[in-house]
Amino acid sequence: MTLDERELVRRCLARDERAYRELVRSYQVPVMNLAWRITGNADDAAEVAQETFVRVLKSLHTYDPNRPLRSWLFKIASNLSLDLIRRRKRRPVALEDMADEDGPALEAVDPGPLPDEGMRLSWAAERFAALVDELPEHYRAVLYLRYREELSYEEIAETLSMPLGTVKVRIHRAHEALKRKLSARGNTT
Amino acid sequence: MKTNLTCEACERELTAYVDGQLHRSVARVIEDHATSCARCGASLAIHRAIAAHARRLPSVEAPAWLEDRVVRTVTRPARLRALWTRTGAIAASISFAVTVGGIAFWPRLAKAFGLPDPATWLVHAVETGLDVAIGAPKRLALDLAFYEPIARQVWLAVRSLSDIPRVVILALRTPDAMWTGAILLTLGVAFYWILRPSRTHEGGIGHACLAL
Repeated sequence: MTLDERELVRRCLARDERAYRELVRSYQVPVMNLAWRITGNADDAAEVAQETFVRVLKSLHTYDPNRPLRSWLFKIASNLSLDLIRRRKRRPVALEDMADEDGPALEAVDPGPLPDEGMRLSWAAERFAALVDELPEHYRAVLYLRYREELSYEEIAETLSMPLGTVKVRIHRAHEALKRKLSARGNTT
Repeated sequence: MKTNLTCEACERELTAYVDGQLHRSVARVIEDHATSCARCGASLAIHRAIAAHARRLPSVEAPAWLEDRVVRTVTRPARLRALWTRTGAIAASISFAVTVGGIAFWPRLAKAFGLPDPATWLVHAVETGLDVAIGAPKRLALDLAFYEPIARQVWLAVRSLSDIPRVVILALRTPDAMWTGAILLTLGVAFYWILRPSRTHEGGIGHACLAL
């Protein structure tokens, strides 16, 4: 936690309305985007972001200042997003995604055609984003935290309260799933 | 550099390698394998491309209302509390002023409106209060005095019920009672024997009784 964050938290605890606004302004975009990546819907994401900030500001007195504020926000936002999805049961989880992620590693998958077979590794951003949206929510969450927020595996594990091995497996599986989808849709021809 | 790393093992570590999450020595082994193995090299290129694209995933802007709504939701209870506190303080001040003013100016007000002397009101109020305070226990004592004999009679009646079995047993132990019981028992068995319905006594008295 940086000095600025510490000061911001102290002011928020003193019920300074300007500090509330500053905190929301500082983190609203990453929180909103994490929620958007998980829920897949901007309205739901806004709802989650609002609830996240309200909860954080109301329970700021329980916050451990030794942990990064951003991780705490992400943790609450991801939990709320997953709860929302569970409530709505929008996307049934595929059997392959329910496999034990702490167990042995996946079977090796066919890496697909080789580059010299004419693979294109540049995909349209929209198409790639659409493929990411097709992934299960917990894969989308780790992908967002790793690549957009550039959190390390350890930070993701701490944020999402899961073992480091699970984070590693999830990111790997997300990669493999994207690779399979890209191969299946002819993006590698 | 030759290693014993299999393609499957290499494939499992490629994502962590791309993300820079491997120890330097392990990363070197993966790198060497990917350089020497065309398949793993291709896979590495794909993982790198996926990571690069994931870093450029589109993002959304937070809605303009978010900040206001959050702040309003969080500060609402505090505002309500402050409002209640202020309203309560004003109401308490007004009621205090009215009470003090009423006490101070009551004789004049009473005289102005042609009401009886407030001192007599006070005496009357004290008297009423004393009546209520004394009257309630008095009523209770009278009620108790009325219901107590009835309750006593009921209690005696209930207690006398416990003597009935003893009286019955004593009565049955006399010779007359024993003879009477023996005769009644004999008559009962005899009647049963005569009236009992059975296949061997079809058309007998027992069947006739049942038919009736």
